Amino acid sequence: MIERYNLFLHEFSQEASKELQLFSIIAQSFFQPFSLLDNLLVIMTALTAGPGLGFNRAMLFLTEGDSLKGEFWLGPTSAAEAESIWRVLSTPGIGYPEIIEHNRSLLTSETDTLTKRVKKLSYLLYREQSLIPALTASARQMILVRDARNEPGVDRRFVETIGADEFLCIPLVSQKEVLGEIILDNAITKLPIRIRDLELASICGLFAGNYIYTAKLQKRIVDMKKVAAMGEMAMFVTHQLRNPLVMIGGFADQLLDPQIGEKKKKRNIQIIRSEIRRLEKILLRLSQFFRIDVREKVAVDVQDMLNLVQESVRARIAGRRITLDMEIEAGLRVILCDPTHVGEAIRNVLDNAVDAVGDEGRIDLRAYRENAEWAVIAVEDTGKGIPGAVKDKIFDSFVSTKERGMGLGLAYVKRVVDACGGRIEVKSAEGKGTTFKLYFQTQPRERRTRP
Amino acid sequence: MKKRLLIVEDERNLCLLYREELTKAGYKVTAVADADTALEQIKKQDFDLIVTDIRMPAKNGIELITQIMALRKDIPIIINTAYQSYKHDFMTWAADAYVVKSASLDELKSKIKELIG
Repeated sequence: MIERYNLFLHEFSQEASKELQLFSIIAQSFFQPFSLLDNLLVIMTALTAGPGLGFNRAMLFLTEGDSLKGEFWLGPTSAAEAESIWRVLSTPGIGYPEIIEHNRSLLTSETDTLTKRVKKLSYLLYREQSLIPALTASARQMILVRDARNEPGVDRRFVETIGADEFLCIPLVSQKEVLGEIILDNAITKLPIRIRDLELASICGLFAGNYIYTAKLQKRIVDMKKVAAMGEMAMFVTHQLRNPLVMIGGFADQLLDPQIGEKKKKRNIQIIRSEIRRLEKILLRLSQFFRIDVREKVAVDVQDMLNLVQESVRARIAGRRITLDMEIEAGLRVILCDPTHVGEAIRNVLDNAVDAVGDEGRIDLRAYRENAEWAVIAVEDTGKGIPGAVKDKIFDSFVSTKERGMGLGLAYVKRVVDACGGRIEVKSAEGKGTTFKLYFQTQPRERRTRP
Repeated sequence: MKKRLLIVEDERNLCLLYREELTKAGYKVTAVADADTALEQIKKQDFDLIVTDIRMPAKNGIELITQIMALRKDIPIIINTAYQSYKHDFMTWAADAYVVKSASLDELKSKIKELIG
C-alpha cells in the first residue's frame, strides 16, 4: 500500500507543533518567486508569530559596507493590535501568500512611526569598542540583553528607540561576511526571553542570513551578465565604427597628397561621405535600439500599418524578380501595439526576407486571426533560410551573419514584440525559406473598435 | 624586386585603400575579399607577407591562418582587425604581428617594413 501526500503542506495535524508549522512556511517560501524582502518578512513573522511562541516584535538591520543600518520593524504597537494579528496568524490553513499580504500591509501602514526612527539608526562595525547592537554583528554572536537601561555596553539611543529593557540580537551571517542583524523583544507581553525562544531565533537567523546571501549572489550574477553583455556590445560597436574610420582616415590622407588627380579626389570624397553616412546609420540604429519604450498599447489598424511598411519594402525590391504579396484577413481590423515600433519591426523582418531571397523569390506578408484573442502577422519567404549554427542566436543582440550587419534587427523585433506583450515563432529550413510569425493581441470580434 | 603582399579584407573600399597605399609604399599588392580566394592565391603563387582581417563572412581569419600553416608555407602573417580582444585567442599568436585597424595606416606600414623590409 502506498500513500501520497502533497510536499507543500497547508493543513497540519493536531500534534504538529507551532514551530513545525512555521518552519514549514519558511521552507515553502524558498519555492516562491524570490523576493528578499518578502522572504525576510516571512522569517520575521515566524519569529513574532504569537503570544505562546517566540517574540512580540522583530527589527531588521542590514550591513552596507562597514556599517549596520536599521531597516524596519515588524510587530504590533499595542496589546490590542497584537491580539488581532495573532488571531489572523493562528487561523488554520494560513500559508505563505496570506502572510506576505499581511506583512506588506503592515509595512506600508501610515501609523508605523517606529520604522521611521529605526531607519535613522546606523552603526559602524568592527570598532574596538562596539556597543550593542553593533557588537552582535561584529562578534558574530547572539547576545541577550537584560536590564538594558543599566547596561553600559548598550547604545543609549537604541534603547530609547525601541523602548524595551530586554531584547535578543541575532547576527545574520554567511560563510564569510556579516550581512545584518535581527533584534527581537517582548515589548507587548513583557514576558522574559526564554532559552527555547533563543533556539528558535538562532535557526531563523541562519535562514535569514542565507536569504540575504542568496539575494546578493543573484544580484552579482545579474550584474556580471550585464557587464558581459556590455562588453560584447562595446566590441561589436567598436568593430562597426572602426572600418568606416579607417576608410575616412585613409582616403582623407590621400586627399592631402598634392599629386592627387581630380578623378581620384572626387572618388575619395564620395567614399568618405558614404562612410560618414554609414557611421550615422550605426548611431541611429543603436539609439533606436536602446530607446524602445512602449508605454501604451493602442488599437492599430493592421491594413494601414502594413500598407506603409510594404511600400517602403517595395521600393527596395524594385528591379529584382521578387514577388511581394500582402493578404489581410477580412475579419481582422486592429491589433494592440505601438504602431511606430511594430511597423519598424515588421519592416526589419521584411528586410531580412528580402536579403534572404536575393535576386529572385517570393515573400508573403499575411495578417490573420489565430483565435479570438490573438492575431498573427506572418512573413514567409523562399530565401536561403537561417543557418543551423546561428538558429539559437538570431534574437541575440550584436550577432549578425551579414557583412555590415549590426546584429540589431531581430533583437529589436523581439524587444518590440515583447514590450507589446506578444510573442514570435520562427520556422526555417536551409535552402527553402523562413517564416516569422509575430503574435499580437487583438480585440474580440464582438467588440466594436474605436472608429 | 618588389615584395609581394596578399591582403585579405572583406570590405571593398578598405581593400582599395590598402592596395593603393601599399602599392605606393613600394609593394606588389594582391587584394582579395575572402579566405577561400586567399588560399587559392597562396597555392598559385608565392607571397612575402599576408595581411588578413579576422571577422569575415564565411571563413574567418583565424581559420585562414590555420590552413596556411597546414600548407607548410612559411609566410609572415599580420593580423589586421578592428578588435583588440582576438589577441587572447591563442591561434592569433601564430601570426607575426597584430595590428588593430586605425584611421592611420602608419603602424601597418611600419610592421610590414619591419617584417620584410
